[in-house]
Formats: sequence, C-alpha cells, structure tokens
Amino acid sequence: MAALQLLVNGVALGAAYALVALGFVLVLNATSAVNFAQGDLVMAGGLLAVALAPLIPLPGIVLLPVVLVLMAALGLLLALAAYLPLRRRPPVSVFISTIAVGIILQNGAAILFGPEPRAAPPLFGDDTLHIAGLAVPEQSLAIVAVAGLLIGAQQWVFARTQLGRRLRATAQDPEMARACGVPVTAMILVTFAIGAACAGAAGLLLANRYFVTPTSGGDLILKAYIAVTVGGWGSVPGAVVGALLIALFEVGVSSVLSYPVALGALYLTLLAILVLRPQGLFGEAVRRRG
Amino acid sequence: MKRCAAVAERSSPRVPLIAGALALLVYALAFASPYGLRVLTVAGVYALATFGFQIVFGLGGALSLAQGAFCGVGAYVTGILGSRYGLGFEATFPLSMLVPLLLALPVGLAVLRLESHYFALATLGIAQVLHLLAVNLPDLTGGSNGLAGVPAVVLFGWVVPRGLPMAGLVWGLVALGGLIGWRLARGRLGRSLTMLRDDPLAAGTLGLDVGRLRLTAFGISALFAGAAGALAVHTQRVVSPEVLEFPVMVSILTIAIVGGRGRMAGAVLGAVLLLHLPEWFRFLERGYLVVYGVALLATVVLAPDGLTGLLDRIAVCLFGRRQRTPVETREPPLPLDLPDGMTVEGLRKSFGGVLAVDDVSLDLRPGTITGLIGPNGSGKSTVINLLSGLERPDAGRVQLGGREVTGARADRLARAGLARSFQAAALPAGAGVLEAVAAARLAFDPDAKTAEAHAGWALGRLGIGELAAHSCDGLPAALRRRVELARALVRRPVVLLLDEPAAGLTDGEKADLAALLRDLAGEGMAILLVEHDMGFLLPLAGRVLCLDRGRVIYDGPAGGVRHDPVVAAAYLGRVASA
Repeated sequence: MAALQLLVNGVALGAAYALVALGFVLVLNATSAVNFAQGDLVMAGGLLAVALAPLIPLPGIVLLPVVLVLMAALGLLLALAAYLPLRRRPPVSVFISTIAVGIILQNGAAILFGPEPRAAPPLFGDDTLHIAGLAVPEQSLAIVAVAGLLIGAQQWVFARTQLGRRLRATAQDPEMARACGVPVTAMILVTFAIGAACAGAAGLLLANRYFVTPTSGGDLILKAYIAVTVGGWGSVPGAVVGALLIALFEVGVSSVLSYPVALGALYLTLLAILVLRPQGLFGEAVRRRG
Repeated sequence: MKRCAAVAERSSPRVPLIAGALALLVYALAFASPYGLRVLTVAGVYALATFGFQIVFGLGGALSLAQGAFCGVGAYVTGILGSRYGLGFEATFPLSMLVPLLLALPVGLAVLRLESHYFALATLGIAQVLHLLAVNLPDLTGGSNGLAGVPAVVLFGWVVPRGLPMAGLVWGLVALGGLIGWRLARGRLGRSLTMLRDDPLAAGTLGLDVGRLRLTAFGISALFAGAAGALAVHTQRVVSPEVLEFPVMVSILTIAIVGGRGRMAGAVLGAVLLLHLPEWFRFLERGYLVVYGVALLATVVLAPDGLTGLLDRIAVCLFGRRQRTPVETREPPLPLDLPDGMTVEGLRKSFGGVLAVDDVSLDLRPGTITGLIGPNGSGKSTVINLLSGLERPDAGRVQLGGREVTGARADRLARAGLARSFQAAALPAGAGVLEAVAAARLAFDPDAKTAEAHAGWALGRLGIGELAAHSCDGLPAALRRRVELARALVRRPVVLLLDEPAAGLTDGEKADLAALLRDLAGEGMAILLVEHDMGFLLPLAGRVLCLDRGRVIYDGPAGGVRHDPVVAAAYLGRVASA
C-alpha cells in the first residue's frame, strides 16, 4: 500500500518534471542549443502564479491560461534576446547566453519577491481524497491530469497540424525546411514560446505542493537535463519517460533514506549512465549536425 | 573599419599590462580603504580561479560548470585542515590544490570524449553533489553554518595580516599564476586546445589526442581553482556552503567571457571590473548578480571576444598591426624508415544495413601513387575515413608500417605516420596560415616555436612561404588547398591520403600539384589519391582501384582502366567520354 502511495506521489511529480523536460527538448531539437534558462522559466512561472493569485482570486486552473500566455511571451523575448543574435555562432554561445538569462530571472525574482518560499493556489482544491485506502491529494490528481492534457495537446499539434509539421521539419533539418518554404525563424520563435509555456505550466503545478523560491530553477534545469540525457538526447517521448523515472527514483529513495541522499544518488546514477551508456537508456535521437 | 575588424595578430601585451599593474599598485598603496583592499583581494582570488577556467573552457572549449565547486573544495580543504587540525599554510595550500585535481581526474576520464554538452551536465552534477555533501556532513564541514576560525596564512613564521599584506600575497600569486597560464596558453598545450576546440575532428587527424588534452586542461583548471579557494578562505577566515553555490561559478564564467575568452589578461581585467561592479550598483544589494547576467548576455551577443578583444582591435586601429618577427625555417626530420607503407585486407563497413564498403583490400607501397576512383556514392570517402580512423571498420585488417592498427583512433594513426586531406579544406577560422600549418606539428614537436619553424619549411616547399603571416580566412580555394597540403606534408607522413586534391584547380595548378606528388613519391611516401579528374590521375598513378557500391570492380594498372568494360558500365559511359 505504501508503495502504491509513493507511486501516486512520484507520478504527480514526474508529470510536472515531464513538462519541464518537454520544453527543454523541443527547444533543443529546433535549435540544437541547450536552453539553460528552462529551470528558471519554471521558477518564473511559479512566481507569476503567486503574483497573479491575489489579482485573480480564483482556483489555479483559471490562472493557468494566463500563465501560459505570459510565459509564452517571455519565451519569445528569450529567443529574441539570447538565441536569434547567436544562431550562427557555436552552440556554446547560446548555452552561455541562456545561463545569463537564467541569472537575470533568478536574481530579478529575488529582488522582487525576496528569498522566502512561496506557494501558488491549488488547481482545484486542497482536499485529500481517500480512494481504496490511499490518501490522494486532489492537487496530485490535478497535476497529472493537467500535465497529461498539455503534453497530449502538444503531441496532437505536432502530429496533426500544419504548424506541427512545420515545427517538426524545422527541428529535423532547418536548412532543408527553409528550402521547402517553411518560415524557420518564425518556427523557432514558436518553439521557444511553447517551451517557455511548458515551463510556466510546470511552475504553476509545482508551486503549490513544493513551493517556489527564486533559486529553485537550478535544481529543475538539472533534472530536465538528466531526464533528456537518460531518455536519449533529443527524443521527445524519451524526455517524458526520463522525467517520470527521475521523479519515481527521487520519491522512492527519499522515502527510504532522505531527499539529499536521493539527489546525490540521482547524480551518481547520471554519471554512471554517462560513462556506460552515453546515448541514454533508449538511444540518442539526434546526432550532431555538421 | 574593415581593416580593424580582421585581427590576425594580437597586439603586444607588455605596455598595457605594465600600465595596468602600476595602476593597481598605486590604487592599492595610496587610495584603497581597508574595504577597498578586501574587494581587491577577492578580485585576485577570482582572477586566479578564472585562469584555470580560461584554459579548460576558453582555450579547450569544454564548458566546465565545476570550476566554482573546485574552488569550494579547495576552500573546504584549507578550512577543515586549518581550523580542525591546526595545519599550516605550507601543508593546506598544496593539499587544497591536490584534492580538486583528484576529483577532476576520474570525472574527466569518464566524460571528456563525449559531446561537450554532456561535459557541462556532468560537471554541474559534481558541483551539486559537493554542495549536498557540504551541507549534509556537519561533523566534517560544519553543515550549513560552515567552519569559523580558519587561521591566517603563515609564511616562514610571519603571520600575514589582513589588508595590504594579504592583498600583496594574493596578487603576487595572481602574477605567478597568470604567467604560468599565459605560457601554457601560448605554448603547445594552448594551441593544441584551441585546435581541438575549433575542430575536434581535424584535431584528431592531426595526431592530437582529444581526450588526453581535455583531461590535462581540466586537471590544470582544478589546480587553479583549488589555489583560489584556499586563498579565499584565508581572506574570509570562515568557510560555508556558499563557496560551493552556483553564484561562484556564474562569477567565474562572467569574468572569463567579459574579460575575453582564453585570455589570462582578460581574467584579471574581468575580475577587477566585475568584483567592483556590485559596489557601483549598491541599491540592488544581493541582487547584484542581475548586473552580471546583463553583462554576460551583452558581451556574448555584442562583443564575443570580450574586453581584451575590444582593446586589441582599438590598439590595431591606432597603432597598426604588429609586425610578426619572421621565423627561421627548419626541415622537419624524416620518419624512421618504415618500408611497409599501409596494407588493408577485407575492409568492411555498413551504416544501418547499407553496406558502404565491402571487402576492400589495397596495398599502399612506399614510393607509389595509387588512385581510387568510382562514381559518386561508391564508398571512396568511407574508405578514406576508415583508413584515417574517423570511422571504425566492421571487419578487416589494417597495418601501418608493419604494425597492426585496425580500429585505431585517428590521432594514433596520425602519430604513426598517416596524413590525410579533406575534400573541403578544413582550416581553422581566424588563424594565420603559419599557425594553421604549425598546428599539424603540435603532436610531434617539443614546443610551438619548433612547430612554426617546421611549418615555415613546408610553406616554402609548396611555394607559399609569403603567405605565412596571412589569415586563413578569405584565401582563394586553390591556396586553401595548398595550405592544407602543407599541413599534411609538414608531418613527413609515411602514407598520405588525398581526397580530391585537384578539384577546382586550373590546368597550371594541376601540373604543379602533379609534379609535387611525383617528388613526394620519389622521396618514399605512399600516396592514395581519390580523384574524379582522370586526366590528372591516370598519368600520375601507377595502380588504380575502382569502387562501385562499396566493392572493388577494378584493380590494376592505370592504363587499363579506360578500356575496362565493368568500369565503363559503372560510370554509365562517363569514363569513356572523359
């Protein structure tokens, strides 16, 4: 029974991590650049929800669209300031420019909000449901449902719509896509917007149960990064699965030992994976572009 | 403005360096308050840490996110040994450098051959584990409160007090560290690192062991970080988990980029500037890092060469380019006699079910020129990649100079006497011609100066000695090819693989090339020539192999290939009409 309880908690956490990793991998595929600010975007989304809550005294689910739109705008800004001027430079330039954006977001948030942990409103309610002897917080179910819905919507857009086809073409081969008439720059901007919106949603979902502080992005970018590495660099389903695995690992080990031990074990596992299977558990999806 | 933009040669460092050092000295002696001295001391500590980062990241291109954490480890080693065990500076300082090195080596070994983004991730992971350990092992580290009562530096019985003496000690070590770093950067190590940062693939084919070089750079960065951490603790007299947090790393990264990637002077300039920035933005209090973020972003986007790069350009515009002192030229030694050339038997390679090379055997004897022809997609380039170690064969045997080298990495083959050219001449962007050719000798010569003397000889041999000071950028295609040939030639290879060397050359240039190749073969070199131009190849080659869909369909004298019906069929008559 305890194991089942942990599974519920792990899946809820994993669903939120999956959104973070998803945003990260989408940008990675579209630009072959690592967006190091992804974790800080999650933090920004969480604090945005905290700031909006007194203005819109309604459940979190109503805040969600507002957060998504505002975060998408922030993603566009990120692309304009830190990606587009550097697209012809080596990938490490974008890595550094997004580190810079992360620093600005993190310390800007510290100036605006102070260092205290804050909580966003729950999506629907704060109650705990008792289902077959399991204590399931309503928020956990809501996280899984909302994250599942958002990931599903993203998959549907990418698989079934003209926009999605153009986004995928851009991710696969930007030169070829441009030659075929796809507006590649616009598609990259859209990808950054979607990536930031994913991060913002994750921030809103996480900021209720796990709180949010200006420095919480550092941990999250590492987990997204690990999820994408474990799932196979560049693989979208791999990133989601990797995120779920990490969350289950974290919840499982924390329950037996402690959170710091879980985190330490996670990093050591990561190093072991890098040494033994650098292509990730399910194989690398993208090779370096020439 | 255009003239100023193309900076090939860095301006003389001496005058601005001496002026800068004097200005710092005057400020420290005459104007600085005790607080100002403290800021200056901390700036020195950061400069020292950044020297190491300039080597691993600035020159080597490996984004280590553990540099801050290695500083923290150095700090904790001094803190723990000094405050708990009462050890003195003479013991704690070397140990503070040694422990980060011991941490760096196994991590480096594990991930240095991977793509660089994995290296960033792994080093970030190490940093997080170290921070966790510092917070969660209170018996050793004092937990989140850290350890107080770290003793001052004691040198030969003299307790170095805070203020001017400590600042002097730190800046003395900055001068020493900077000198060491500068010498490393200008020498063989620095040039090899730049080479592999800009083009790891080409670096391998020039004989540079990418993994070992990166490991060396990572180790050196850890030594510098440890020294900086130790000095930081002697300045603060306390150590807490803060030294292991990301802001330290962010500061080092910002200093390196704003100061100028790969430049030791940039590390000093960046450190002095950025450590004083928070003083000018006091109203932001602890949010001063926002300023770092903005400075970092602005530099990456607007001035990728950093402040030292800008100063260089200004100097070039004001005073013109410094004349390069002409190097003496020296003929590189011939390899020890390796009479066997290269022998290949039953080479096979498939890519995802497509057999690209199927049972290819060839024998490259010293003093012969062998031609390799075949229609597009017949596997010629794959054969060259297999022979030069860029791809690993699925089956087959390769011997070089009588030694078994099947499946060896490109750098090992290059050091064993193999040289190759690429279809599109891969010359490092922004480098001078002499530098680019000397880079091919870095794995062989004891120092950069010898490599340049040898490079001068190779340029002279190809009749382009006057190009030595020229930049590789903007060279016409024919000259680029010649520079690339010089890079192969300068190594005195036993076996030379040339991938379409005549493409795009005029008839006169082709005749020059043919004469040169004949000379080289006459000296005992074994040459494999991949070519489409039959008029160029056939008179030159003694033996010709023709590939079609990965298989050898003709292997015999060059004269017979035009009349071979199988070859003609493979080319759909193109050979016959050529």
